[in-house]
Amino acid sequence: MSDDASMNDIQEPIASAPAEIREIIERVLRAEKEKLYMKIPRNINDDILKIIKEAIQ
Amino acid sequence: MKLISIQFCNFRQFYGKTPEIFISCVGRNTTIIHGNNGAGKTTLMNGFTWVLYERFTAAFAAEEQLVNKRAISEAEPGKAVPCWVEVVFEHDSKRYQVKRLCRAYRNEAGISHGKSELYMMIAGDEGRWQPPPPPQQPVDIINRILPESLHQYFFFDGERIDHIVREEKKAEIAEATKELLGVEVLERAIRHLGEAKKSLETDLRGIGDPATKKLLRDKQKLEREMEQLAKRQAEIEEELLHQAELKKTLSSRLLELGGALQLQSLRNELETQRELIREQLKQANEVLQRSISTRGYTVLLSPAMAEFRGIVDGLRERGELPAGIKRQFVGELLERKRCICGAELTEGTQAHALVHAWMDKAGMADVEETALRMLTQVDEVEKQVPEFWGEVDRQQANINQWRAEISRIETQLDDTKKKLRNYPDENVSQLQTRLDEIESKISELNREAGSNKQQGESLKANIEGLGKQIDKLKMNELRQALAQRRIAAAQEAVERLTEVKSRLEKQFRLQLEKRVQEIFSEISFTPYVPKLNEKYELSLVENTAVGDAPVAASTGENQILSLSFLGGIIDRVREWSKKNTLMGPDSSTFPIVMDSPFGSLDEISRRRVARAIPRLANQLVVLVTKTQWRGEVAEEMKDYIDREYVLVYNSPKPDCEEDGIELNGERYPLVRQSPNEFEYTEIIEVGYGF
Repeated sequence: MSDDASMNDIQEPIASAPAEIREIIERVLRAEKEKLYMKIPRNINDDILKIIKEAIQ
Repeated sequence: MKLISIQFCNFRQFYGKTPEIFISCVGRNTTIIHGNNGAGKTTLMNGFTWVLYERFTAAFAAEEQLVNKRAISEAEPGKAVPCWVEVVFEHDSKRYQVKRLCRAYRNEAGISHGKSELYMMIAGDEGRWQPPPPPQQPVDIINRILPESLHQYFFFDGERIDHIVREEKKAEIAEATKELLGVEVLERAIRHLGEAKKSLETDLRGIGDPATKKLLRDKQKLEREMEQLAKRQAEIEEELLHQAELKKTLSSRLLELGGALQLQSLRNELETQRELIREQLKQANEVLQRSISTRGYTVLLSPAMAEFRGIVDGLRERGELPAGIKRQFVGELLERKRCICGAELTEGTQAHALVHAWMDKAGMADVEETALRMLTQVDEVEKQVPEFWGEVDRQQANINQWRAEISRIETQLDDTKKKLRNYPDENVSQLQTRLDEIESKISELNREAGSNKQQGESLKANIEGLGKQIDKLKMNELRQALAQRRIAAAQEAVERLTEVKSRLEKQFRLQLEKRVQEIFSEISFTPYVPKLNEKYELSLVENTAVGDAPVAASTGENQILSLSFLGGIIDRVREWSKKNTLMGPDSSTFPIVMDSPFGSLDEISRRRVARAIPRLANQLVVLVTKTQWRGEVAEEMKDYIDREYVLVYNSPKPDCEEDGIELNGERYPLVRQSPNEFEYTEIIEVGYGF
């Protein structure tokens, strides 16, 4: 497998997810990344619950 | 992170404000800084780590003595000596100016240092500088761009770089690598999604099990009962009509038969009277009910009213009622400062105090007013008591009278009917018997209809109650289904992210290993191969006939291995972040600032390292001594060098041996005699008219 193909393969489980699951994953990763610099990310559980509730209505 | 410049003020060897050192970037991406031992190369590199992370490398001794000694000794006692480093960098089309400042004070007890403060200004495309928008903190912004845990990859001491592959550092480096890749982001996302899922499951339990089906069944059963009841009621009504018709027919036939006419008239008259009196009885009962519900309470108030009168009498006896004087009146006297007797009421005089004392007594006026109003009401209530009893007695007498009357009429009716039943004419007798039967039947049907009506009302209420419960449960079912979908979505997200993490860890590691092997073989002339295990721990092996055998690597080999590892990581992470903005670092531009990169390498390795490192990172800052900057190194790097600086060490030692370096055909001093009693370092840019 070429480097490029294998890089894409890593993210395949996200790319192939149904739209709403992909939305949750992408938004959760962004939220986690924003708070990565904190050892204990403040209010992250609330942020994630909000993301799930907004994506699945 | 693209480094733009660094500038010092009173930081260690640098006295006063130095010129800015500009860091090369595109194309020729390498900046070389020349300096002899002690001139400030390590200081310069630690300038970066101090500003950005308030951290120092292991080679940086006496961390607490940051402020330039000359600046302190020249300062007036008690006056602050500022010491700062300012770094400008670019990230994501924004320019950041970061400055860390600390102050030192010279006083009688010695030198004291204040805490360091971090300042940040940000400029966007329009070029206007402003502080970070709240609530963002400068430390957080820097950490988002280049996390602190990773700084050792980008700012390091070449002589100690082999530590990266030493046993005790392996776990730390492995963790930092994972963070750089975004594995930490994935792990946190998986963990927190799991927690969110748990919380959703708790919500679901709160909603409860839906018992809608059972309730629907119950409701249907009740509705069927209701239908049957309604059908029966219709039947009864029909039957009643039929019986009434029959009664009418029989009565008229009875009339036709004659003879019994008088008895019949009497019977009809008695029946009419009975209906009339029944109606009167009903009315009397209603009047009685109304009286009890509107005035019945009055008879229960006697003890409370007696108590109230006792309280009022008590007040009267004590002379507290009537109050006789109003608070407002006393207030006005005090305000006018003159009594009704003409005496002056000045504050502080006895006359004023006497009149003022009336304010408290005057307060009783409210009580008096209320007491009077209540006394009138109590009198009124007391008057109602005998009226109420009179009404009750009257209605009771009426009821008793009507009841006796009905009883009398019914006896007469029974008597008349009996006479009719026993009438000598058989037809009359039979007809009367038949009529009696019909009446009995009508009465029975009426009773059933009444009972059915009550049952029907109760059924209707039950059905309505069930309907409401079912509506509520249906709403709950929707909420439940939603909660279940959310739980399933969280679960699926966790599973997919776990798979991504597993693929990332495996495939990224394999690619990284491949890249590290490539770089290593470019630099090293040994046949050894770097291996990266599942924990991202790096080792060197030798391919033998019986498989891979670990190599006892020399310091030089370990240096090359570490450099290859760093180069590999930067290269692969850069590629990864270009394709992946979700997990990986925001940056696809990475600088490397290396102090003494050639450590204990031999000539061939130095040449190879020199050839490789400018290609490892987007930007390269190399700090070198004159001996490290030898022919082969300068030759290999010349095509990448954009800017060069010389750190000129001014020594206060009277007989110091001066030194210099020739760069681009010009000689620059490295060590020279200080013009005063202090040691300090100047920064000179090469090629700018020294």
